[in-house]
Amino acid sequence: MNKTQLLQGTLDLLILRILELGPNHGWGISSRLQQISQEGLKTSQGSLYPALHRLEMRGEVRSEMTASENNRRARVYTITRAGRKRLNQETETWEAFALSMRRVLEEGQ
Amino acid sequence: MIARLFATLRGLLDRYRIEGEIAEELRDHLEREIEAHRSRGLSAEESRRLALRDLGGLMQTIESTRAVRATWLDTVWRDVAYAARVLRRSPRFTATALTLLVFGIGSTTAIVSIAYAVLVRPLPYADANRLVFLAEKEGSANFDDWRRRAKSFEGIAGSLADSVIRRGSQFPQQVDSRNVTVNFFGVLGTTPFQGRLFHESDARPDAAPTAVLSHAFAIREFGSAQAAVGQTLTMSGRAYTAIGVLPPGFRYMTMADVYLLLEPFVAANYRGMQNRLNHTALYAVARLKPGVSVTAARAEMQTIAAALGLEYPATNRGSDNPACCVYIVPLADRIVGDMAPTLTVVAGAVVLLLLIACVNLAGLLLNKSASRADEFGIRAAIGGSRWDLIRQLLIEQALLVLIGGVLGAVAGAAILSALVGLAPREMPRLDEIHLDLVVLSWTTIVSCACAFLFGIVPAVKASSVSGQEVVVRSGRGATRSAAALRQAVMLAEIAVATVLLSGAGLMVHSMVRLARVDPGFDPNNLQTVMFALTGPQWPDARRQVFYNAVVERLRALPGVENVALTTAMPILGSNWWTVFNTQGKTAEHWISTGEFPNADTVLVTASYFDTLRIPLVKGRYFDQTDTPNSAPVAIVSSNVARKFWPNEDPLGQQIRQGFPSDPFGPWRTVVGIVGDVRQQGVDRNATPQLFMPVIQVPRATVFTIVRTRETVSASSIEAAIHDLDRNVSVFNDRTVDQLMRDSSSRRRIAMIVLSAFGVVAVLLAAIGVYGVIAQAVAERRREIGVRMALGATGGQIRGLFLRHGLIVVAVGIACGVGAALAAARSLASLVFGVTVTDPATLSAVAALLTVVTLLACYMPARSATRVDPLEALRSE
Repeated sequence: MNKTQLLQGTLDLLILRILELGPNHGWGISSRLQQISQEGLKTSQGSLYPALHRLEMRGEVRSEMTASENNRRARVYTITRAGRKRLNQETETWEAFALSMRRVLEEGQ
Repeated sequence: MIARLFATLRGLLDRYRIEGEIAEELRDHLEREIEAHRSRGLSAEESRRLALRDLGGLMQTIESTRAVRATWLDTVWRDVAYAARVLRRSPRFTATALTLLVFGIGSTTAIVSIAYAVLVRPLPYADANRLVFLAEKEGSANFDDWRRRAKSFEGIAGSLADSVIRRGSQFPQQVDSRNVTVNFFGVLGTTPFQGRLFHESDARPDAAPTAVLSHAFAIREFGSAQAAVGQTLTMSGRAYTAIGVLPPGFRYMTMADVYLLLEPFVAANYRGMQNRLNHTALYAVARLKPGVSVTAARAEMQTIAAALGLEYPATNRGSDNPACCVYIVPLADRIVGDMAPTLTVVAGAVVLLLLIACVNLAGLLLNKSASRADEFGIRAAIGGSRWDLIRQLLIEQALLVLIGGVLGAVAGAAILSALVGLAPREMPRLDEIHLDLVVLSWTTIVSCACAFLFGIVPAVKASSVSGQEVVVRSGRGATRSAAALRQAVMLAEIAVATVLLSGAGLMVHSMVRLARVDPGFDPNNLQTVMFALTGPQWPDARRQVFYNAVVERLRALPGVENVALTTAMPILGSNWWTVFNTQGKTAEHWISTGEFPNADTVLVTASYFDTLRIPLVKGRYFDQTDTPNSAPVAIVSSNVARKFWPNEDPLGQQIRQGFPSDPFGPWRTVVGIVGDVRQQGVDRNATPQLFMPVIQVPRATVFTIVRTRETVSASSIEAAIHDLDRNVSVFNDRTVDQLMRDSSSRRRIAMIVLSAFGVVAVLLAAIGVYGVIAQAVAERRREIGVRMALGATGGQIRGLFLRHGLIVVAVGIACGVGAALAAARSLASLVFGVTVTDPATLSAVAALLTVVTLLACYMPARSATRVDPLEALRSE
């Protein structure tokens, strides 16, 4: 099991980060996440969709049903201004946290 | 924040669409995932299995995604559904609570709305708190002097309610009018809706007659306010030009459709405003200068009155204190006038009723939460948060109060229209009354506060009990403090019921007394109409002939026993008050006694006394020998005789109207003395009456009073008069009975409201007492079982609870009587023939309440003795 379990609360951050790259649908977000993290992070798809809808309820992403290839309709998510703002805040928080973690861990070696 | 709110709202609107889309979205995901797996060479079946596993099950994911969309509204909705179930499951509790709420909110809202509209809401005039009402206490013409001398006011305007006959297309029509001074509308601060109001130039003697119309009249007669301006109205023989229309709903004291100028009216009818004698009472309204108080204005007016008293001793020396002659009050007080005490009492009663309803509701909720203590405890024990519990209860009670509020508003509207129907037509500001939404929200808030306070506080306390305690205490019911609270509730109920019932008792007592008063005539079976013979086509001689013809014609109608004509309707009273002098007595003589002879002057036909059944004391009634050409005669009431001829025989005395210095009319011989008549209303003392034959003093407007053996409709009387002359206008048909009812309506409203509320209050108190004792019995079943097992008799067990009840009842009634005595003053102007602290009434009320409440104690106490000791012990 080399795939790291996601830390609580980080899923939102990851989704927002991926959407910042461009609008995407749920499956796309999921596969993009695995791709970018080089399979290092894998989210349970069961929690991906509730998280997406929660973000939409909070106004941090918006979605649209769009026609996609082979005659299906897909829900495409786009990051909003509020979403970008949160992403920036959380990224800073996360980086500060990660830095502190690394310092403590490296100091301890 | 805004974005979130917007998303929430959109989420709600899009709910159904989104539900379907979630499934579609996830299916799309699955298909993509399957394709991805297949592209890596997996079998279709394996791809599908893996995709579904990764998604964590299609249905579960749909469900958890949808759950994200749930908002606080869904949570509240769940609570509401639960609350509705709780209320449905205890129908008796819900029905009782709703009844209390509907009654409390409904009646309070209705009555406080009326009281607010009549007593509190500012008058519909600009800056109305600077308006004062001015009148002379004794009739003389000081108006012009006031205007010249008073410095407290921006303006003083006079006005008189009147009516004019308008020549219509078919029959002449009576129109309510008001004669006003030129500055009247200016003083009131009224602006025209259409056209203009009166100018100084309209009051010049040579000016063309002008009229201002009410909005309703303009619409009714001419279709619109615009169309009305410039129209010509022929009224009482003169052509008036309508110059303007007032704003809708404009009213001063009485409703009037036409406003005419007072100055020409006074000049025509009263020999000018300068005449200090035989002047019709003129009421004035004045606007205080900014910063001048009513007290300061009153002081100034009294100084002026005193000065006038010195300058015109013959007319302005009313009594020893010349300052008495001015009456000045804020206009609002005057307009509300007589109704204020009634409304205060009724509003007080209804507040007490709301109090009792709230107290009962409180008792009900206390019981309810006591019986649910276990539920709350268990919920707390299994991890329900305090906030969950409080929110649940809040929603339960909000639901209750909401339903109660809606039904209460409906009930309030019904009660309001019933009460407005009961009110006399002359009731001030009747047209301004409507169900007041502010009042409705206040009564609902009060009920809400009461429900929350008594429903939630005990429950929260219960919820703080540890789960273990609940399990151990299991089913032992309410605590000591809850029992004490319930007793306090019971005590308050009894006290409030005592107050209401005392008021009701006093009013019923007054009405009985009033019904027993002998008005001096027989008021039953009298139908009346009024007719007017106005205009130059009606010289005195023609009127006299017409009077006789009317009497003969109506007497011939089937069912008619007798017919009389008079200028003073019984109960409404005469509006012609005169001073008269007697031959052989000088002005100095009367000044030394302090009072000139005076009386209400009533013009009547010979048949008047027979028709009204006013007894003859001495001498004779008027008869056929009294004609326009025979010697002038008069009849006086007994009190005139007693007061002004204490030591002489009034028969044969010569009298003449007016002061000795300015008499008018011929000398008349007193030919008869009749019984005193309560001409101004049954509840007023009989005033001195001077009767003269109408045949000798013809008048344009007279009342026809018909004594009937069986019902004779006003329309048949009207038709009979029109048979004689179809141009005569006939109006104001009423029975004397109706007049008497109208005249006592203030008291009747107070009596009906107090009695109805009193009965309800007693019932509520009885229910409350019953509930408290029954609860006590239920809680002490085990104790009773033990006592009975140890040999206590049924009587001893009953005594246990009766004693307990008796103490609370006695204290409650004592408090109630105390409060009733304190509140009695508010009834002072409404009671008749009894004192407000009438011991008989108060003891009767106390006795009645004791019986009722003890009965309410006895019933549950008796059931206590039916407890089976074995069963009571086992049930623990």
